[in-house]
Amino acid sequence: MTEHSLWRFSRALHRAINDRHFEDIEALIDEDVDWALYGPIDMFPFLGARQGKQAVLDVIRQLADNFHVRRFDRENIMLGVDSAASMLRYSLTALDSDKPLSLRVAQFAQFRAGRLVNMRVLIDTFDLVEQALGRAIHLPKMTGVG
Amino acid sequence: MTVESLSRQRVLHLLDSFARGDLDAALACCTDDVDFLTHAPIDVLPHMVPRHGKTELRALWQTVWSRYSEVRYKTPHVVAEADAVATYMHAYFKKRSNGRIVQFDMAVFYSLRNGLVTEIREIIDSYDLVQQVLEREIGPLILGERAE
Repeated sequence: MTEHSLWRFSRALHRAINDRHFEDIEALIDEDVDWALYGPIDMFPFLGARQGKQAVLDVIRQLADNFHVRRFDRENIMLGVDSAASMLRYSLTALDSDKPLSLRVAQFAQFRAGRLVNMRVLIDTFDLVEQALGRAIHLPKMTGVG
Repeated sequence: MTVESLSRQRVLHLLDSFARGDLDAALACCTDDVDFLTHAPIDVLPHMVPRHGKTELRALWQTVWSRYSEVRYKTPHVVAEADAVATYMHAYFKKRSNGRIVQFDMAVFYSLRNGLVTEIREIIDSYDLVQQVLEREIGPLILGERAE
């Protein structure tokens, strides 16, 4: 039974982020990849949409510059023929501050011939910003409008 | 029909029912002990607390429909495996108060039991969602707090 592309991609991604070994991940990304990590790009420049392999590799290098993955747990995972969806809990360390961050992330990936062609990642970004700030953001309760 | 395609069909039926405002039909797609959890700032959006059971889920959905007059979804990515379905959605909610559209992407993971949805887990770009609901940028508020 052939290993699903997600597992190879996941191993290569974590090796790139933690060990700065980019050769494996480079081979697993399609030249025309469509990629988006949604969130506030003014605070986290590596978030946002990217087109093409080089742009995505730049993002992965920025992630490696900023974070170390201490641990991740897949809470949900669904594998299609050339697609995968997973909900993950990441424990990261922000390298500039040595601050721990805990993120819940949803990841939707599509592959063609074993290479990533589409990636959509959603993060509970309000929680991410509060953790990065190190304090709660005080806003009015939106009991009547939200 | 495979289990995957049945599961997928049932989840899409739930979404269609909810988008029509037919909460009875949407709840009929769920088990009595359906469990709902979204990852959003509940101190800001207090109705988005965890919900357990149809009565609590109905109360949440009624709150949503009391604030929005139109709900639309596009589901560009749906992945199903056995009794589990994940959807990546573009959601459009039209505010009753001023007609503005709140537009956001969300990931929803469903678990099914005997063909009914028993668990719903959501992840939303919550920072952007709060800004759209509040109709203001949060960044200046954060800077304001720092200045104080």
